[in-house]
Amino acid sequence: MGIRCNLSLKSLYLYTIFLYTFISLFVFIKQNNKLMLKLLKNIHNILPVIIKKLYLIILFCSLLFTGGCEKESPNRQNRVIIGISSDISSFNPLFAFSVDEGTISELLYLSLINFTWDEEKGNINPGPMLAKSWEWSEDSSSITFYLRDDVYWSDGKKFNAEDIVFSFDIYSDPDVQSRLYETFSDFYTDEKNHIDIEKTFEVSDSFKVKIKFLPNSTPTLSETVFHLIPKHIFKDIERKNIATSEANFNPVTNGPFILAGWDKTQSIRLKANKNSFLYKPDCIDELIFKIVPDYSSRVTQLKKKEIDLVELIKTEDIKGLQNEEYLKITPQIGREYDYVGWSNIDHELYKSSGKIKPHKLFGSPAVRRALTYAINRKEILDEYLLGYGQLAVGPISAIFKDAVDPDLKYYEYDLGKAKSLLDTEGWKDIDNNGILEKGNLEFKFKLYIPSGNPRRSYAATVIKNNLKQIGIDVAIETIELGVLIDNMYEKNMDSWMIGWYVPIPLNLKFSWYSDLKKNPYNFASYQNKEADQILDEISIETNPGKLNELYKKFQKIIYEDEPVTFLYWVDNIVAYNRKIENIDINPLGAIHHCWEWTVKEQ
Amino acid sequence: MRFTYKIWHFLFLLWLIILVIRFELLINIYELIIRWDILLFNDSETAFAQLNFDLADNIVSGKLFIILPVLFFLLRKKLSFLKEKFSYASLFLTLLIISFLFAPLLTNGNPDFYKNIGMTKLLPPFTSIKVLHFKKDEANKGNSPLEKFFASRDKVIKKSFDESIIYIDSISVGEKAIYYQNGIGKETEKENLVFINGKPFITGQMFLFGSDQFGRDIFTRLIYGARISLLVGFGSVNISLLIGLIFGFLAGYIGGIFDAIFSRITDMFLSFPIIFLVVLILALFGNSLVAVIGILGFAGWMSLFKIVKTEVLSIKDKNYFISARLLGLTKSQLLTREVLPVIIVPVVVNVIFLFGNVIIAESALSYLGLGLGDNYPSWGSMIQSGQEYLSSAWWMIFFPGITLIFTLLSANSFGILLNRKLNPRLQND
Amino acid sequence: MKNRTAKLLVKRIISSIIILFLIITFIFFLVRLSPGDPSQKFISPSLSPNLAEKVRESLNLNEPVHMQYIGFLTSVIQGDLGVSYNFRRDVISVIMDYLPFTLLFTTMSFILQMIISFVLAVKSVKKINGFFDRTLSKLTLFLYAAPVFVTGVFIVFIFSELLNLFPSSGLKSYDFQDYNFLDKILDYLKHLILPIITLSLAEIAIFYRYLRDNLEDVFNKLFVLNLRANGVFERDILFKHVIPNAINPLITIAGIELGIMLGGTLIVEVVFGLPGMGRLTIDSILTRDYPLVIGCSLAAGTLIILANLIADILKASLDRRILEGILR
Repeated sequence: MGIRCNLSLKSLYLYTIFLYTFISLFVFIKQNNKLMLKLLKNIHNILPVIIKKLYLIILFCSLLFTGGCEKESPNRQNRVIIGISSDISSFNPLFAFSVDEGTISELLYLSLINFTWDEEKGNINPGPMLAKSWEWSEDSSSITFYLRDDVYWSDGKKFNAEDIVFSFDIYSDPDVQSRLYETFSDFYTDEKNHIDIEKTFEVSDSFKVKIKFLPNSTPTLSETVFHLIPKHIFKDIERKNIATSEANFNPVTNGPFILAGWDKTQSIRLKANKNSFLYKPDCIDELIFKIVPDYSSRVTQLKKKEIDLVELIKTEDIKGLQNEEYLKITPQIGREYDYVGWSNIDHELYKSSGKIKPHKLFGSPAVRRALTYAINRKEILDEYLLGYGQLAVGPISAIFKDAVDPDLKYYEYDLGKAKSLLDTEGWKDIDNNGILEKGNLEFKFKLYIPSGNPRRSYAATVIKNNLKQIGIDVAIETIELGVLIDNMYEKNMDSWMIGWYVPIPLNLKFSWYSDLKKNPYNFASYQNKEADQILDEISIETNPGKLNELYKKFQKIIYEDEPVTFLYWVDNIVAYNRKIENIDINPLGAIHHCWEWTVKEQ
Repeated sequence: MRFTYKIWHFLFLLWLIILVIRFELLINIYELIIRWDILLFNDSETAFAQLNFDLADNIVSGKLFIILPVLFFLLRKKLSFLKEKFSYASLFLTLLIISFLFAPLLTNGNPDFYKNIGMTKLLPPFTSIKVLHFKKDEANKGNSPLEKFFASRDKVIKKSFDESIIYIDSISVGEKAIYYQNGIGKETEKENLVFINGKPFITGQMFLFGSDQFGRDIFTRLIYGARISLLVGFGSVNISLLIGLIFGFLAGYIGGIFDAIFSRITDMFLSFPIIFLVVLILALFGNSLVAVIGILGFAGWMSLFKIVKTEVLSIKDKNYFISARLLGLTKSQLLTREVLPVIIVPVVVNVIFLFGNVIIAESALSYLGLGLGDNYPSWGSMIQSGQEYLSSAWWMIFFPGITLIFTLLSANSFGILLNRKLNPRLQND
Repeated sequence: MKNRTAKLLVKRIISSIIILFLIITFIFFLVRLSPGDPSQKFISPSLSPNLAEKVRESLNLNEPVHMQYIGFLTSVIQGDLGVSYNFRRDVISVIMDYLPFTLLFTTMSFILQMIISFVLAVKSVKKINGFFDRTLSKLTLFLYAAPVFVTGVFIVFIFSELLNLFPSSGLKSYDFQDYNFLDKILDYLKHLILPIITLSLAEIAIFYRYLRDNLEDVFNKLFVLNLRANGVFERDILFKHVIPNAINPLITIAGIELGIMLGGTLIVEVVFGLPGMGRLTIDSILTRDYPLVIGCSLAAGTLIILANLIADILKASLDRRILEGILR
């Protein structure tokens, strides 16, 4: 193994030695002015002093030496290092609750189907993975998967249909509390939503499985796609102890990568699984997830080439990174948007008596539209996000090309319109104290934002100032994200600002459905019967053309009612070293399909 | 004879500077005070309804500007500290106190004011931007006391927004007026603008210490931030003092079980890394001003407790104390008359160091994201927001950082000075 | 004498246990009675709304607080601190992953601080108010005033970015397991130098000032004048008489500071991405990992008490008077 030292080190060496001797001499001379001449004659007197200090010099130099030189490793070529912000808690896909855990699970465990992103349609296309092919039955009440027979788990055993049945069983088991708990609404289940294996599965062959769905339900392909786990490892573990079992930390996997090592809180090392059918010899050998909790350290290491890829880059760092020619900056667009939520109903009344009445400030759609007119969203987008984002019109992102209504234009910043809308609703400033009032009620409220998010703090400051101009008094309260979410569920707040990460494929129902008991995710408590009807139709429609028509109708209603003020879609900015080739940053993810990346020779 | 600079020389100089630079503002403030008094005389109900923080702030500053010098002059014999030799520590502390009292006078704007972020954000210190004035809506020119009051008020109280001005690069006037911002030209009718001598009225705004990411003037925020930081400092120190004093006295005086319990509790808080408690409380209960002051106050009473307790224990058996007790003095009287004079010196010194620590703690909390946030212009929050822009706008961290460090240094120097002056043991040097 | 020290120890241990008990009770109720709870990780549009509720049930979070407390106490007495919600392993093993590093790191820094501040203080006191003394006083005041995160970021900027000498974060390089023993040690050292320097700077300022003032105080006492008049060498006065007298308050302060450092040097760990107790505690607080929060507080509290205890024993063995004072 060779040793590589920084060239500047040698000069630094000499420089510090000279500096040190100079300083010592200087101090010495200062202290002994008169004796200086005398001592120059008696040089042998000075030597002991220098020798005594020599050990300090040696210590200092050795520190530099250890720091500046490092071992060179031979196999660095085909390796990619990704910087993430926190460590994961386990490798088990059952409990992959965080984004990083999801990413790593995808690389270790395969699913039946592989989705790719279709840029044209703005939708996902299914392709074979563990399933070579599949066919729906005539009436779409069941589906048959034909499986590959050349997939092996990392302990040598072959993957087969038993693993599929077992996975469905364990994912739906209420004692396990997996990520997919209670989401199997289209399957035959018992009262706890645990899948009934007898009724659901028909395994006629090790590599063929038929899944029967609940009659009169509308199953989709995505419902059968999740990361499958090996039966022979997990079958003997007691269900309620699975979360803490050892098998989670030394996983047996069948994906394109296997776990090479896990240095807790430091790094997760994966290496390419040469036995996988996805393996290609020129693709990357090693994938390392380096855990760097501090954001600016991640960026610094990106610049120093210690890390090859970092997501969620902040906009003010973009200029600096663009100057480095070996880095490429690409935004991943349209997955997340920020919004200001207005409580559409009187939440206090609802909590105490269950009655639904419009909110005294935000109940009327005209007032909400006025608020949207009054907020200068473009300024925030241009000045803080530096244009890396798009102004939002509604909850459907521009990436869903066929579902988006191109005729809807976003509300421009217009104080005049805002003021006149409020005026017609009865809000006037009679006592000239700078705050609008209607009868005895002043237009004053608290806006809650989550802490630790500079983008939202920035937007909140702008909003506060914008609304002050039209006579609305806003007080900004910053609370911790967990507490904020708690309050959103319990409907404790008049207004809040938060983001929303949209799922692929599109699913609108849970945010906008009026029935608050059935749908706790309608935080703004939006009430509209017409919208409900359209949502119901959407959930049973299967024809893509008709579906898109329904989506467009839905967007028009939301546009008129403006239940929340949609701020902007935020880009996820990814910066990576150009040595990574064959990488595709699409809405499904940056690290999606990373087994196809190649590393350019340097 | 060498001319030694005294404190009152410096104060007088400052007074003169403010008088000269902010002359127009001062006139407007006095007019406002008069109008409000007239309103009060005519219609006291409305007058009180109009009273809010900004109004009171300006009125008090205006009045103090006259009253304080007069007061100092009359009491100059008694206030001997004014004749003290002038040192850097006292310079800084004086500046702080002046900022606290006269913030609306020292600065000429609202700390939250910004306009045209694209033009004004992240400007380096000493930049000046052209300001174009539009005609204001002069409809409310009434003559009643109330309306006159409003007119006067709008001249004095600075709001966080202003619809009658915009920032421009340059302007060209032909058929219509075209102004340029960041290279993009926009049109407007000539009637909308204010013209003087045939040319559009353009003033300049100087950003003394630069501007932040919103285009807000950092100098203004620094001065107003002094208020918040000082408030946090004094508030929490007072809380610590109160808790430490009362508990220490009770523990020392009553002794026995009380002492044992309190000592254990204090030890418990000392044993537990207090920063976690602070982080815990702030993370869970939000970061309002009251919460920050409260928790910082709560984190600092331990050392005061120990000092007070040991002193009380040491004088408990002294004759003068016992006789005071026998005379029938209540506990609070005992505390104030007997104990306080003894402990005042170490307590005051400790308090001053505590003050410095609290201010640093507030900025550290802001770094962790738990401080006051962007609601108030406190130095800690300015440093926190400035961190993101470290490479592009160093002045955002530099100025509040330097003020923070100097505040701490002056507080420490002041503490050391006080210690040397008041501590009898060291007086023999 | 031995009896007395034994008595001292016993008394101290009993009060320490009481203190620890108070700590965990306080923290237990504090975290449970504040807003937010561990199930918030399970609330998200892609998950079922009932999952959070199910998790709460399985963690016994729906029971009244005092019942939870009793359950908690019974398990603690048996030595079981519970299972961490986030790590899905028992609390003790999680803490054992992070504690050794913090111990090592703080001890190394502590020793360095002691040595450097000692050397500096002695040098200053030899020529009081001389050039060295005055510059150092101003410099340390400045270091003390500058917050840790400012100096940390600054140091990283200079040494890591500009000079590219030391790595800017982390504890090990990627090929760590391929290194031989000597290289492993060098690798650790390389990663730890900058954090240790950052951590030490502020503390050196404190220790230095304290020690120097103390030494100055003692030097001014009469007995030193006496010794000088008797012609004792300056060097002997310093090492044999002054320092032993000045050392007591320093041991107290050192004990307190060591305890505080052991509790978690939070900011340094965040800036340098080191796997220490400080970060662990903060993360557990923010994610409401109740068992882990209590475990960390317990660990920190124990270490602080231990540090103070050691400091007290050292002082007591040096000075009989203090021993009496503690016993009373």
